[in-house]
Amino acid sequence: MSTYLLMKLLERVPRQYDRGMRILTRGALDAAYDRLAAYVGPGQDVLDLGCGTGALTLRAAAQGARVKAIDVNPRVLECAAQRAGERGLSRNITFSEMGVAELGGEDADYYDAVMSGLCFAELSDDELVFTLQEVARILKPGGVLLVAEEVRPTGWCRMSLPAMVRGGLDLMAYLIGGVVTRAARNLPTQIRRAGLSVDSVRLNTLHTFIEVIGRKGAGGV
Amino acid sequence: MQRVGYMLVNCVATLLRIIPLRCRTGLFALGTPDRTSPVLVTGNYRLTVARVKKALQGVDAYLLVAESRGINVWCAATGGLFTHHDIISVLKTSGIEELVDHRHLILPQLAATGIDTGAICRKTGWWATWGPVYAHDLPRFIANAMHKTSPMSGVLFSLSQRLEMAVAWAFPMSLIMGLITAFLWREALVPLIVLIWGIAGMTFVLFPWYAPWLRPRRRGSAVGRHAILFDIGRGPVMLWLAGMAGLAGVAACVGTLTWGMLCRWGAVSFMVLLTVSIDIRGSTPVHKSGLHTDRLLAITLDTEKCKGAGVCEDVCPRNCHHVDTARHIASLPHADRCVQCGACIVQCPFDALYFTGPGGVVVAHPTTSDGGPG
Repeated sequence: MSTYLLMKLLERVPRQYDRGMRILTRGALDAAYDRLAAYVGPGQDVLDLGCGTGALTLRAAAQGARVKAIDVNPRVLECAAQRAGERGLSRNITFSEMGVAELGGEDADYYDAVMSGLCFAELSDDELVFTLQEVARILKPGGVLLVAEEVRPTGWCRMSLPAMVRGGLDLMAYLIGGVVTRAARNLPTQIRRAGLSVDSVRLNTLHTFIEVIGRKGAGGV
Repeated sequence: MQRVGYMLVNCVATLLRIIPLRCRTGLFALGTPDRTSPVLVTGNYRLTVARVKKALQGVDAYLLVAESRGINVWCAATGGLFTHHDIISVLKTSGIEELVDHRHLILPQLAATGIDTGAICRKTGWWATWGPVYAHDLPRFIANAMHKTSPMSGVLFSLSQRLEMAVAWAFPMSLIMGLITAFLWREALVPLIVLIWGIAGMTFVLFPWYAPWLRPRRRGSAVGRHAILFDIGRGPVMLWLAGMAGLAGVAACVGTLTWGMLCRWGAVSFMVLLTVSIDIRGSTPVHKSGLHTDRLLAITLDTEKCKGAGVCEDVCPRNCHHVDTARHIASLPHADRCVQCGACIVQCPFDALYFTGPGGVVVAHPTTSDGGPG
């Protein structure tokens, strides 16, 4: 719950990030990342959007994939690179300081999988539309989009509890970090609008966290 | 209605200056822009956006509001929260590339402390010009074929800005201290709030008259290297302790000494001490913060590396630099004015500028890639 805003606060101290996230999500995030990484196979080309400290990147690299991991924050990239080195995975990973708006330089139909863990919620509406269009372009036909993201639940009953918890945390995050929480909106719909199909959607009990598997059709977008 | 909205934004942003105030990012068409209209960029601090839009009334232009985390462009760029990634993002995702034929961007000059224009050009083909410091100069800057006059490059600390800063200090202080005092000593509430607003007002209104005598703290702060926001010297703290001891002595003599009375007087007088200890130098755009002498840096020019590109003169908000275009070399005739924002160091294409710390120690080169989160 409110994973995103706590992530933003923790992001300021990358070394404590992973431990903090594990405690905050009581292992749920780890389990989600494990499920997503299972879609990646040896020898595949994988792109991790907003890799942070490398939670998804390292899992994909451990499966034998060649991973390009991008993030706009050089400090978390350094941390991710160090962790990759410690696990002997550096050869499989290329870290690059770039944002999703800079995907124009990537080749079309190149990646077997594009991953995104808690990144889409950080994007503006314009950025999310652009990113999904770029993902549809750079995925190989049949390639998968793997997303783990915080979302806004629908229905007053489900909304009320997270909203109560969020209210205070939102204010705290705003005052301390100038950070505003933005849960991703209508992710499966947005993914379909970009021309990808949605293979599966998995929501947690409170409908605050979503895992989406998108796919580019065999005939392209 | 628009006028009321503008005033409301100004009021809220002035009262809550230290809190980020975000607005929507993306593309805004001002007037009736066409394919040759200028494209300007600013951060998504609501007050800045409101002021830029107001300044550009009557000008046909496109305004791109990039993500600066709701913080003004100077602070956001210096803190690594407004970088070339944010500019590239708004260029590529807002649809501006389909609306204009040119690829010329006007960036806010104060963002030069953290934005790498070379990276923007390499990745998008857009080339950037540093605009004026203040939004109200934008129409003249645009009419003048994107050329800045020297005053357009400099930060000021005018009476209106000083009043804004006085309110920005007084409001949160009176709010926090007022709340504490309401519980502790209700009778002292009104006098304390009057004192806080009076001291803050006088401190900033009278600033030009005592500024020439302002010096960075030489003996160090009472709270040493941890001092932030308040410039609490050892002298005033000793004075406060002596005052409290005197008060306790007198109260003991007349038989009115109680722990409650001592705590109330101690807390309220300490709040007044905090108010007079505002980091005045650091609250102005024309001085370096005086809290930490070990963090006072001097701007230094390596004349062997300098090729007189002139970017330093263009981005310096204190007009410290002079570039001899005939001899292709810069000089620092007004280095004493430097507020160590680092814009010239970040933007110099030849790495000819650097900071030296106390004792002449060279400070590591700040790069535009020291970006922040997000």
